[in-house]
Amino acid sequence: MSEKISKSWPKLTSREEFRFLSDLVVKRSTGDHTFISLQDQHGGTTRFANNQIIQNVDARRGALHVTVAFGARHGTAATTDFTAGAVQETVTRAMQIARLSPEDPEFLPPPEPQHYLAPPTSRAETAAAGPPRRLEYANEAIGHCRMENLGAAGLVSSAVATVGIAASTGLFAHEERTDARFSLTVQAGDATGWSASAHRSIDHLKVQDRTLTAINKATRSHIVRKLPPGRYPVILEPAAVAGLWSQLIQALDAKAYETGTSALSGRLGQRIVDQRLTLRNRPMHDDLFGLGFTSEGLPTTESDWITEGVLSQLAYDRFTAHRRGLGTIPTCDAPCLSGTGAALPTLQDLITRTEHAILVTNFWYIRTVNPTDLTLTGMTRDGTFLVENGEIVSAVNNFRFHESPLQVFNRLETYTGPTDAVTSETGKVLVPAMKLRDFHFSSVTRF
Amino acid sequence: MLPPKWDEFADLALKRIVASGAEYGDIRLLDSITQTITGADRRIASIREQQDRGFGIRVLYHGAWGFAASSVLSVEEVPRIAERAIEIAKGSASLAMNKIILADEPVHRDRFVTSYQLDPFSIPLEHKASLLLQTMESLHRQSGIVRSHASLWARRDCKLFVSTEGSHLEFDLLAVNGDFGATAVHDGRFASRNFNTPHLRTGYELIEQADFPAEATRIASQAIEKVRAPAIKPGLFDLVLDPEHLSLTMHESCGHPSELDRALGYEANYAGTSFLTPEKQGTYRYGSPHVNFVADNCEPETLAATGYDDDGVACQRWDIIRDGLFVGYCTNREVAPKIGDSRSRGSNRADSWGSVPIVRIANIGLEPGNATLDGLFADVKKGIYIEGHGSYSIDQRRYNFQFGGDAFWLIENGQRTHMVRDVIYHGITPEFWGSCDGVADPSHRKRYGFITCGKGQPGQSGWMSHPASHARFRNIHVIKGQTGS
Repeated sequence: MSEKISKSWPKLTSREEFRFLSDLVVKRSTGDHTFISLQDQHGGTTRFANNQIIQNVDARRGALHVTVAFGARHGTAATTDFTAGAVQETVTRAMQIARLSPEDPEFLPPPEPQHYLAPPTSRAETAAAGPPRRLEYANEAIGHCRMENLGAAGLVSSAVATVGIAASTGLFAHEERTDARFSLTVQAGDATGWSASAHRSIDHLKVQDRTLTAINKATRSHIVRKLPPGRYPVILEPAAVAGLWSQLIQALDAKAYETGTSALSGRLGQRIVDQRLTLRNRPMHDDLFGLGFTSEGLPTTESDWITEGVLSQLAYDRFTAHRRGLGTIPTCDAPCLSGTGAALPTLQDLITRTEHAILVTNFWYIRTVNPTDLTLTGMTRDGTFLVENGEIVSAVNNFRFHESPLQVFNRLETYTGPTDAVTSETGKVLVPAMKLRDFHFSSVTRF
Repeated sequence: MLPPKWDEFADLALKRIVASGAEYGDIRLLDSITQTITGADRRIASIREQQDRGFGIRVLYHGAWGFAASSVLSVEEVPRIAERAIEIAKGSASLAMNKIILADEPVHRDRFVTSYQLDPFSIPLEHKASLLLQTMESLHRQSGIVRSHASLWARRDCKLFVSTEGSHLEFDLLAVNGDFGATAVHDGRFASRNFNTPHLRTGYELIEQADFPAEATRIASQAIEKVRAPAIKPGLFDLVLDPEHLSLTMHESCGHPSELDRALGYEANYAGTSFLTPEKQGTYRYGSPHVNFVADNCEPETLAATGYDDDGVACQRWDIIRDGLFVGYCTNREVAPKIGDSRSRGSNRADSWGSVPIVRIANIGLEPGNATLDGLFADVKKGIYIEGHGSYSIDQRRYNFQFGGDAFWLIENGQRTHMVRDVIYHGITPEFWGSCDGVADPSHRKRYGFITCGKGQPGQSGWMSHPASHARFRNIHVIKGQTGS
C-alpha cells in the first residue's frame, strides 16, 4: 500500500478555519455568552491476534460543540457536520435549549482570554503516519513472535487531531495533538506476557524493545507455581503502579472533598503516602501527553499535587474554585510521580536486591470497592512472577488484590526513577517501579 | 425516513468495492441524535443534544478486512473513503495467512422501527428538567442526604446498511433511560443508593411509568439506612440477587465468556479471552440444572433487538446454557465458520458509523424458574439479599469475579431483616452458577441491560439487555469491602 493514499485526506480544521468558524458561531448566537469547542480527528488502528491482522481501520471525525447561555440558563448542541447549514442549526438548537433550561446556580461565563503554555503536543511524523506505517509495526511484532513460535495479539494506532476552544469573551485557543500507541500480548500456550507504549511521536514507540519484553514475559510464564492468597512483598512494575495511582488521582475531586464524600476529605495538608513520594503535573515534558489548554479553555499548569507524601492540591471545577477564590486552577493532565532520595536505576536492580517478592507486570479491571477508604480490587495479568534471592524463579498464578493506595503507598521500601507507563485502563504517566511490603492478595484464579 | 441521498452514497461506495475485485463490502450510514439532561445537587448541570452523522465502509479483499469512515457526507468523500477501505484491505491481505470466509446469510431487504408510544424528543425540555429537579429536591428533603444526581437520556439512530450481496436494511431505532441517586453521610462515612430504569428500546412512557417522585422517597431513606447500617461480618452466606443486580453478574460471567471472538483469542490484548473454549461446547457443566441462559435478540424493547446486526444478519433466539450445560456462543459471520457453524448468530455490532463491527454479547437472559420470591427467602437461614449494581471486577478469562451491589439486607431464618453495608462476594464462575438452586417465576422478570459494555480497540460501547428473575445461590464467600487499618 502506498503512503500516497494515507496523505490524501482533507486537512483537519486549521487555526484560521476554526477562527472563522467560531467567529461565525458567536455572530449568530444571540446569547449572553457563547462557548465553542472543536475536536477534528483523523486516526486509525491496526489490530492483530493469532499472528493475523483482525482489524485495520481508519476514520475521520470532526465534532463541534456549541454552548449558549442566557443569564444562568445554558444549553449545548453538537454536530459532526461542519456545513454552514448544520452549524447554523447547531447554534439555533443550543439557543433553544438554553432558553428552556432552568437557571443553573453554578453557571459561570466562559473564561476571559488566557495565556497558555506551548507543550509539545504534536509530532509531524505521527501526523504523517498512516495505515502502511501501522502495518509495518504490526508486522514487526508478529514477525518476532512467529520466529519464536508464539502468538501475537496487539495494536498499533496513530492519530492527529486539531482541538480548539473559543468564546464570546474573546477566549481562543487551537492546537494540534498527535497520539501513537503500541501494545502487545504474547501468548505461549496458556502463558501470556504483555508490554505497551504510547507517545506523541510514532517514532518513539520502541516496538522492538516492547515486543522482546512481552516475549520474555510469556516464555518465562510456561511453568506456573501455585501460591495461596495472602500478604506478600511485591515489586510493582510501572504499569501496575500507574493503575493504582490513577485511582488515587481520580479521588482528588474538590467538590467531593468539601461535601465529605471523598476518601481524602479532611486530609489536605496531611501526609497520605510515603514522604519520599511527590506527584507533579508536567505538561511540558516530552514523554507525557501534556495539553496547552483544558476543555473549558483554562491553561494547563506545572503544579504539585502531593508533595513529599503530603496532599497539597485538589482538582477543582470552575465553580468550586470560584467559590474558594482561587485565581488559577491547577491541572493534572501530565502526571509524574517521583521519589526523592536514592532511587535504583532500573527494574532489574530492584529485582536483584530482592530476597522474596511477587513481581507484578500489570493489574486489570481495577475498580473501587469502598470509596470511603479508597479500597480497590483488581487482578494481576500477563506476567506475574516469584522473585527469590534476586532472580525471577518462576511464574505464579494470578491473584485478586484488595488494597487502598492510601495504605499501599505507605509501605514503600525501594523504587526506581520515574518511567513511562500506559495501560488499557490508564492514560500515559511517568511513575517508578516500586517494592512494597505486605500487599494483600485476597484470592487466586485458575490460571 | 432516511435522507434521500443515502442510497446514492451507498451506490457510489458499492460500485467502487465491486470494481476493486473485493469479495465483499458494505456501507453503514448513520445519523444519531442523543439528548442528555444531567442534574447534580439540586441543579440542572447540563442539557445537551449531540448529533453524530457519518458513514463507515467495510471491505473484505482476498480474505482480509479494511475499514474506513468519515463524518463528511458528500459525493466526493464517499468514493474516496471506499478507495481507502479497499487499499487498507489490500494491506491487510498482504499479511494474511488464513483467509476470512464469511458464513452465508440470506439477502435481506427490510425496514426495522422501534415501537413506542411517546417520542422522548417531543417531550418538552422544561418538563424533563422539572422532573429531575423535583426528584433531587425530594431526595434532599430527608436529613443526612448531602449529594444527589438525576438524569434522563434518549437516543435515536437512523441507519442504512447496504452490502455488495444485495442486502438493503433501514433502521429507525430509539432507546430511553432515566436514573437518579442520593449520597448520605454519617459518622465520617458516606454511602449512595441509586434508582435506574432499564435502558430499553421504547419511548418516554418508560420514564412516566417509573414514578420518580415516589421512588425518590424510598431511595433517600434507604441511602440513610445504608450509611448507618452495620458492616457485614465476612463468611459464607446464601445470596438472593435481584434482577438488576443479576444483569451485571450475568453480563460479566456468562455474557463475555460466550463471545466466540474472545474464545478464539481476538481480544487477548485487551478485553481478554474466555474459559469457555470451543472444545467445551456441548459438554461443559457451567452451572446447576436451574441455570438456563437464552440469547434472544428478537424480544421487543430489548437493546439488541434491532432486527438485524451490522453484518446484515437477522436477529435470532438461541441457547447459551441449557440445564447448566454450555451449548452456544455469540457469533458473527467471520467467526461462526471457525467452529463449524453454517450461520452467524447475528451478534456483530459497531457503536457508531466510525467503528468497525465486532462480536458483542447478545440479549442473554436467565430463564425464569417456578419459585416465588418469598419461597427463595423462606429457605435461607443466613443470607444476604442484594439489589442493584456496585463494584465489579473479573479476570480476563472470566473465572475469578467479585461483585458488590447497591443495597444489601440480611436474611435471617427466612426473613429479610435489616440493611448491612460493605458487602462484597466473590467466586469462580462455574462454581458460583453451580450453586444456584432456585430462580423466581416470570412475574419477577425485569430487563436491565447496558449501553456501556467496553470492548475492542479503539474501545467501543456495546448495548444489550439481560432479563432475569430473582435467583438464589448457596454458600457464597462474602467479605467486607473495606481495607483494614
